[in-house]
Amino acid sequence: MGLLNTTPKKTTEEITEVEIDIIENILSHVMDPEIEIDIVNLGLIYELDYDGKKTVDVEMTLSTPACPLSDAIVASVKESIKQKYEDFKVNVKLVFEPQWHAGMITEAGKLMLGM
Amino acid sequence: MNGLQTANAPSSKIVVPHFIAGGISFLVVALLLALSTPELVGTYYDNKLIAITHIAILGWASMMVFGALYQLIPVVYETSLYSEKLGQVTFWLFAISILALSYSFWVASFTNLLIYSSILMFFSLLLFIINLHLTYRKTKKPNIQSKFINTGIYWLAATELLGTLIALNFKYNFLTDIHLHYLKIHAHLGLVGWFLLLIIGAASILIPMFMISHKLNEKKLSYAYYFINIGLLALSLDWLFLQSKIGVYIYWLIIGVGILFFLSYVKDAYTGRLRRKLDVGLKYTVISVIVLIVPLITALYLLLTNDTTPFISRLGTFYGFSIIFGVISMLIFGQTYKTLPFIIWLDRYQNYVGKYKTPLPRELYSEKLADYQYYGYLIAVFLLSIGILIKQSIILQTGSILLIIVALLNFINILLMVLHKTKVEELPKYK
Repeated sequence: MGLLNTTPKKTTEEITEVEIDIIENILSHVMDPEIEIDIVNLGLIYELDYDGKKTVDVEMTLSTPACPLSDAIVASVKESIKQKYEDFKVNVKLVFEPQWHAGMITEAGKLMLGM
Repeated sequence: MNGLQTANAPSSKIVVPHFIAGGISFLVVALLLALSTPELVGTYYDNKLIAITHIAILGWASMMVFGALYQLIPVVYETSLYSEKLGQVTFWLFAISILALSYSFWVASFTNLLIYSSILMFFSLLLFIINLHLTYRKTKKPNIQSKFINTGIYWLAATELLGTLIALNFKYNFLTDIHLHYLKIHAHLGLVGWFLLLIIGAASILIPMFMISHKLNEKKLSYAYYFINIGLLALSLDWLFLQSKIGVYIYWLIIGVGILFFLSYVKDAYTGRLRRKLDVGLKYTVISVIVLIVPLITALYLLLTNDTTPFISRLGTFYGFSIIFGVISMLIFGQTYKTLPFIIWLDRYQNYVGKYKTPLPRELYSEKLADYQYYGYLIAVFLLSIGILIKQSIILQTGSILLIIVALLNFINILLMVLHKTKVEELPKYK
């Protein structure tokens, strides 16, 4: 089987991109329990980085700084990534600048909100 | 705000008993109202009506508000509650005081049991006030919402102090004016000072948060804060020491302008909201805010009229009814559906999030029952209002039976939430 595998080897950068796509897909299953839309379509993820060495950095916000569920959402981000990548380190940084606004919601998210 | 308030969240052991006791109290209020329909069209200071009012205000509304406040404090004050233990002691002392106080009104034991139960109530509320005040002192950056809530707590202290003095006066007779005069001040300190400020403080956080509204003009809230407090302070001092004829109109206007600033703030949140579809909790909330206009107009009519007809007396009852059932209870029902599911959800599922598929907070109660309860409550309040105003017992009886059904539906949904058992499913596998 291995001898017949003609797929060219991926570069480190390509692997990182693939991992980021997978991680983004994982995060698109993390729901904001109140708004009932996933955090990717809500536009809550500001930055997503994977260093290729098992460390993921997520910079994200919340729809309101007063959100009483913030810890639960952050825990959900970390745990859902660790479900697939058990030995990864996930750093989540909550930021409120720039302040989240409606323009950050994706088209799919707007449809879900009935906007 | 730092967005990490869950770490400051109180244990559900302190919050949940308040919601259960509140649900039971509303059921008791509905049953007693059904038994007291003749008193509803009599004088508003009837001892049974006063008993029901105190169960509604203390057992139902304040109990629910205390529970919600313990949960909301970390969000508004950005710090944890000063003492959870003190909160637990307060709960039991408060519950016993409500039973004793309401019973003493119901059996008209004004010179005996009422004295002791009022003193007990005074101390239980004092513990609550101390706990919240010490929590407020821990907050680093007081905001307009925390100012509303904290000032509301001072008004609660004033309300309770006057209430205890009225109770003591039944036996020792040291106050210079008639009881009804002080009862009027006591009621306004409680309804405007405690509840209205609290409602504005809590609603101005929760409404934009749940409707997803941004960039609201908080200056409107500041104006509302100063207008309402100055108006109420002037009104109380005037009633206590001057009893001027013209002053009350000016104070009514000042308080009214304050309320209009708040309504304008809510209107901005409503029109600028991202969440177009309102769930049952938000529907109650919007209606309760609109209904605020009803007691405001009724108060003006009562001020302008010199009549002492039975209709005017019933209008006085309707005035109190519209505040307690049209505004306060409406908002509490709404906010119960917006807070209790999250409190229970956090308690049951915060260790499972991300690892398993968890239900959504709204799936912890029956949405169908909540809808029936919502429409039933609107009809019940409408029927009881009409019944009081036109003195029609069949309408009052129908309304009060409907209110019992509403109270049962409310209690069933509270039980569904607090008795919810953790249920999780495996997450889909990512490839």
